Amino acid sequence: MDIILQTNKLTKTFAGKGRQKKKVEAVKGVDLQVHKGEIFGFLGPNGAGKTTTLNMLTTLLAPTSGEATVVGHDLLKNPQKVREHIGYVSQAGGADTSATAKENLVLQSRLYGIPSAEAFKKAEMLIDRFQMKEFGDRKARTYSGGQRRRLDLALGIVHKPVLVFLDEPTTGLDPQSRAYFWEEIKRLKNDGMTVFLTTHYLEEADNLCDRVAIIDHGEIVAVDTTQQLKKQIGAESITVGFSNDAATEKAKAALSGQKFIEKLFPQENKLHLYVQDGGSLMPEVLRILDKENIQVQTIGLSKPSLDDVFLQKTGRSLREAGV
Amino acid sequence: MKFLKDLWYLFVRHMMKTLRMPLWLFIGLMQPVLYLLLYMPLLKNMSGGAGIPADEIAKMFVPGMLVVMAMGQLFAGFSFIDEIRVGIIARWLVSPASRLSIILSLVGSQKITLFLQASLLVFIAFLFGLHVPVLGLVLTMVMVLLVGVAMASLSYAISLATKDESALASITNTFYLPIMLLSGIMLPISVAPQWIKTAALFNPFYYAVEGARCLFDGDYGNTMVLKGFGVVIALCVLMIWLALRALKKMAA
Repeated sequence: MDIILQTNKLTKTFAGKGRQKKKVEAVKGVDLQVHKGEIFGFLGPNGAGKTTTLNMLTTLLAPTSGEATVVGHDLLKNPQKVREHIGYVSQAGGADTSATAKENLVLQSRLYGIPSAEAFKKAEMLIDRFQMKEFGDRKARTYSGGQRRRLDLALGIVHKPVLVFLDEPTTGLDPQSRAYFWEEIKRLKNDGMTVFLTTHYLEEADNLCDRVAIIDHGEIVAVDTTQQLKKQIGAESITVGFSNDAATEKAKAALSGQKFIEKLFPQENKLHLYVQDGGSLMPEVLRILDKENIQVQTIGLSKPSLDDVFLQKTGRSLREAGV
Repeated sequence: MKFLKDLWYLFVRHMMKTLRMPLWLFIGLMQPVLYLLLYMPLLKNMSGGAGIPADEIAKMFVPGMLVVMAMGQLFAGFSFIDEIRVGIIARWLVSPASRLSIILSLVGSQKITLFLQASLLVFIAFLFGLHVPVLGLVLTMVMVLLVGVAMASLSYAISLATKDESALASITNTFYLPIMLLSGIMLPISVAPQWIKTAALFNPFYYAVEGARCLFDGDYGNTMVLKGFGVVIALCVLMIWLALRALKKMAA
C-alpha cells in the first residue's frame, strides 16, 4: 500500500499564557500513516488535538518537534510543494461571504495558478457537481448552512488535490445535509483522492472511514479499521446500571471472576461487560447479581460501537467527552 | 510572475467587496468633509482680531488633516478580523498564494479608499481658497499614501496577532490620540512648549506632517521633506514585515 502521509513524533507545545506560563502540550509525539486512496478518520473529543495536528499537516502551524512527509514532500523543508497538492476545508469553512459561489471558485483556482479560462470552466463544473446552480450566482452570505458547506468543499478541491483534509466536515449540519455530505466524501474517494477527516461523530467514522485513529489528550491511543477495533473488544456488550457506587463496586467484584466475560469496564454507575453471546448470557449476569443481593437498575445489550472502543482506550465515553 | 498575479486577483476581490458596501465608502468620505466644515472655520478667528488669511490657514491645516486621515487606516483591521474568523485567510494560507501578496493586496485596496478621501479633502480645500504647487501636492499625496500603508499594515498585524476586535480597538485607541497630538496635526509643533517639541522628535508622524507642510509651501529642498520620506518609508517596511510575520504565525 502506498503511503501518502507519514508523521514521525509530531509534537506541538503552546507557550502558556497568564501568570503561571504553564505550557500546553496539544499534540504529543503523534505517529501516523495514511494510505493512498483511503478515507482516514481522526476521531477524538473536542480539545484532543485534532485541529492542531491538522493545522500542522496543512502547513498552517509549525510543529515544535518531529517531522512529516505529506504527498511525498517534506512538510518542514518544502511546505510550498505540499500546498500545491493538498486541499483543505477548515471547520470554519473559509468561503468569502461577500462574493458569489462562482467568484469564490474562480479566485481559488487562480490562487492555485490555474489560467482564467479554465478557472471559469472549473467553477461551472463544480457548481454543477455540488448542485449549486440555484444559488451559485447569489452572495454566499445568503446561503443556508448546508449550501455554504457545499461551497466550502468545492473550494477545497478546485485544483484536484491528491490528498484533501476535512476538519469536522459535518459539524452543525442537519441529518439530511450530513447524509448528502457523506455521499460526496465517498465520491471524492471514488475519484481517486485520499481523504483525511477529523470528527467527533462516531456514526461518521463508522459510516465513512476505512481506518480511524483515535486521539485523546494529544496522543494516539488506537489506529485500525473500524471493524478490527470493534472486534478487539468482543462480540457484544452488556451494560448494567446501578443506583450507587457501592453497588457498582460490589457487582464488579462479583462478576470479575466470571470466565464468559472477556472484558469488564466500569464507568460511573455502570458496568460494561464484553461477551461473545450476549443474548443467552444476560440472564446469567442477572442471576449472579441477584445471588449477591445487588439491585440492578438497568440492563442493555448492544453490538460494540466505536464508542466502546473509545471508552476502553481512554476510560471515557466519546458521547460524553464530545460536544 | 505568481506574486504579481496573486496580488492582482486578491486586490480585485478586496475592491469588489468594498464597492459592494458603498455605505462604508460614504462614511469614510464624510470624515474629511466634516473636519473642513466644522474645524477649519475655528482657526480663522484664532489669532486675535486680525485673523490669518484663509489661504495660509488652509496651507497649514490641510497637510495635517491629510496625515490624520492616513492614520485612520489604523482601523482597517476591523473588517479583516471577521475574515480571519470565517476561515478565509487560513484557506489562502493553505493555498500556494504568495504570502506577501495577501498582505499587500489588503493594504493596497485600502489605499484606493484613502486616495479618494484625500482627493475629496483637497478639492474642498481648494474651494476654501487653498493654493498649492502641483508638484507639492503630488508629493504630499505620495507621503500620505505611505503613511496609510504603514498604518494599515500595523492594523493587520495587530488583527492577526489578537484576532479580536475589542483588543484591536483598545490598542489602536491607546496609541492613536497621543501620536496624533504629538505630530502637530491640529496646529504646528513650533507653537508648543519645549518638552512637547522634544517628545515630537520621537514621533515618526511629526516628520510626515512637517514634511508635507514644506511640500505645500513649495519648499522642496527643506531637510524636513527628506526626513519625512525617510522616516515614513522605514516605517512602511517595518510594518509590512510585522504584518507578514503575524500572517505566517496566524494559526499559533
